[in-house]
Amino acid sequence: MMEVIPNGQSQQDWLTYICKACGLLYKEEEGDPDSGIAPGTRFEDIPDDWSCPLCGVSKEDFELYDASDAVKISGGACIKSASVGNKVKGWTALKNSDVVIIGAGKAGWQAAQALRGLNKDISISIVTACAGDLYEKPMISVAVAKHIDAKSLIKETGGEAAARLGVNLYANTHAIGLSPQTNQLRTTRGTFKFGHLIIAQGSKPICMPNIGLKDCWHVNHVESYTKLRAALEDTNSKIAIIGAGLIGCELANDLAMAGHNIELIDLSSLPLGRLLPDLASKKLLQAWGSLPIKFYGGVKVNSIASENTKKKINLSSDDILEVDHIVIAIGLKTEPDLVKNAKLDWNNGLAVNPQTLQSSAPNIYGLGDCISIDGEASRYIEPILRQADVIAKQICGQKGFHYENRTLPIRVKTSSLPIRIEGKIHDAGNWDNEKGAKDPATGKIIFNQWHNNQVQASIQLG
Amino acid sequence: MNLVIDPPKESTISISLNDRAGVLNKVREISQTDLAAIVEACDQEGFYPEAVLKKLGQAGAFSAHLDVDGEIDYSLAIQCMSEVSRVCGSTGFMVWCQDACGLYIESSGNSLLMNDLLASHGSGQTLGGTGLSNPMKALTGIETMYLKAEKVDGGYLVNGTLPWVSNLGQKHYFGTICNVVDSTTKEPMPGHELMFMLHCDAPGVELKECPSFSGMEGTGTYAISVKNLLITEDKIIAKSVGGLLKKIKSAFILLQTGMGLGVTQGAIDSMWKVEKQLGHVNQYLEDRPDELQQELDDLTDNIMELSKTPYDDSKEYFIRVLDARLHTSELALRSAQSALMHQGARGYLMCSEVQRRVRESHFVAIVTPAIKHLRWELASQKAELSPA
Repeated sequence: MMEVIPNGQSQQDWLTYICKACGLLYKEEEGDPDSGIAPGTRFEDIPDDWSCPLCGVSKEDFELYDASDAVKISGGACIKSASVGNKVKGWTALKNSDVVIIGAGKAGWQAAQALRGLNKDISISIVTACAGDLYEKPMISVAVAKHIDAKSLIKETGGEAAARLGVNLYANTHAIGLSPQTNQLRTTRGTFKFGHLIIAQGSKPICMPNIGLKDCWHVNHVESYTKLRAALEDTNSKIAIIGAGLIGCELANDLAMAGHNIELIDLSSLPLGRLLPDLASKKLLQAWGSLPIKFYGGVKVNSIASENTKKKINLSSDDILEVDHIVIAIGLKTEPDLVKNAKLDWNNGLAVNPQTLQSSAPNIYGLGDCISIDGEASRYIEPILRQADVIAKQICGQKGFHYENRTLPIRVKTSSLPIRIEGKIHDAGNWDNEKGAKDPATGKIIFNQWHNNQVQASIQLG
Repeated sequence: MNLVIDPPKESTISISLNDRAGVLNKVREISQTDLAAIVEACDQEGFYPEAVLKKLGQAGAFSAHLDVDGEIDYSLAIQCMSEVSRVCGSTGFMVWCQDACGLYIESSGNSLLMNDLLASHGSGQTLGGTGLSNPMKALTGIETMYLKAEKVDGGYLVNGTLPWVSNLGQKHYFGTICNVVDSTTKEPMPGHELMFMLHCDAPGVELKECPSFSGMEGTGTYAISVKNLLITEDKIIAKSVGGLLKKIKSAFILLQTGMGLGVTQGAIDSMWKVEKQLGHVNQYLEDRPDELQQELDDLTDNIMELSKTPYDDSKEYFIRVLDARLHTSELALRSAQSALMHQGARGYLMCSEVQRRVRESHFVAIVTPAIKHLRWELASQKAELSPA
């Protein structure tokens, strides 16, 4: 039979209270005899001038303690592969890894894959601010019109890829500080000691003082894009896209094809104005004629204000646009802090040797969006495979393999008028024929840009 | 093969200006003589080194970062704290308490408060501390605020209990923050806080002894019970607490690095002491003294650079300061552990300095902001924003 105590409550009702300052537990069953509180004293019956016997705070700084809270453990950050053991060493509190890779976008995973392909024993850790899921980034520009769900863009989760490649993946982990002299990388989940470091941190959308990511979506990675797609559940949203470069135009085309009303805004008077001759840009506008895209050229955004669920954009032309969503696409930049604070050479990105892709510290490499070669960044997919291959070979001791920096053709995925750009466009160069010439074989309009009596760039419409 | 590493010829802390050198040399001398003589009493018996603190103040250890002579010099303040912590982590911590309290007095802009305390505080004639651990955590949503104030005629009435405030004594004072409550509902009003100087001898204030700590004894650490304490205009540091904290938060955290730098240097010193005898076996240990010294020197250079702009309010600077503070904690932990491994059995004696330093390094890593808080804050600083 259950014992009944004088106030009619059973022993099973004994409660425990915890001091919020020091964690001392007051158990009603035991009381606090040293302070004159008899065993069995209910917390509410303790005199108000009683204080925590350990740290001295008052009775009101205690709260009811639920023992089941104590076993709540937040999800582990490190997804360890099955095949590679935990390389964390004991008391030095440093996580040792032969290779640490910062970033789990295309570049980071490609580097891991190339390394694992050459050496099955090398320990590889990836530190990434994102979840580390693998996806094909170019698909983001065409997914809506193709009815591809944002989640379907993910081809493999970070955990699956880590298991496949035998990599320790530290997802949702930020790289904070780098000390090349001691080969240490400090992160929000501990400090790594590396043999080689590969920086593949990617790039971030450029913001302006009056236009920040608090107000605007961006499509620079699948996590942000997934949130945008979730917010766009209603068809016929009114969406402002700030920036009519490659990404802005591709996204405008894709969202408009799906029925959204697009307000496309750019400082240039025409879309893709910094790339194409005026006539080519005008052809693109013509091709968009049947789509709900309105272009605001030669204007800048003065301010953005939120009103209920709407956003108001004040343009320098005095136009005021009221929209449901804003997407910012004015360009990308590499975050400089980690590299610059580590005193590694920086030139519009992590400066790397054009052949070896080494930074100014010989055991630190870079690839992908975050690097610059002779001051120029390249934000395309194709070089990443070759870069990863060259880096992996050097780390694995294979000599004589060099990266070759090439100019790549660019395909602008504006389905209303696909555009192909070859060669390197110089702002100063002259377009041979503002009207363009028709290629007799394909019937497509071609523009050539000349420099020093040579065609340096060519644009094909259609 | 020579298995024993030669120690460095000179001390690694160097300065260029004569007056700075004078202050630092004096602080080093006091630390290595007066303080070294009582460090065991502080640690084992809880002896509060008031005379040494006052001597350090006289030498200029508490005023370098203040604008008392028309120049602020955070690098000198941190180096002084480091020299003290190299000998005694507890006293180094109290240098930080005194420095932080001076920072509050100066940043208050309250001429009544400044006239009353700034000169005597900067020179160590009067001593004080800081009770911001709980408020800082409360303002970032980790804890609730323990002190509460109600607006009354002539000031504010403050009540509550604050656990574990250091560098206190009956005539001491400390800067802290409380919530201001609504006079009818008695509930805290969000965004209404008051930062003020709490004098330990004021009516309604009681110092309560704390239980024994693992280390950091002799730091004048008490729980403060406050009943109907009247705070008048001359005690107020800020009514707009957010603005003041934003201004001083980087400086406040940057100053703390002096503790960890000193504890680390002390640990490295202990390793060199046994190198001749034990180098042939110590070579098999991780974190050898030359490696740690290089890491410490690089970190010190970084901190000295950050010290040039303590009031930079940019996010990038704040992240660098948090990283430096985090690195200092991690390095102090590794160095103290390694010093214990280097000294072996002799370091396992309860009276050994490396034994004490392990506990000091734990304190460096645990005192607010602790390693976990720093990583938490860094993660939130780094998190990408997006529309709601």
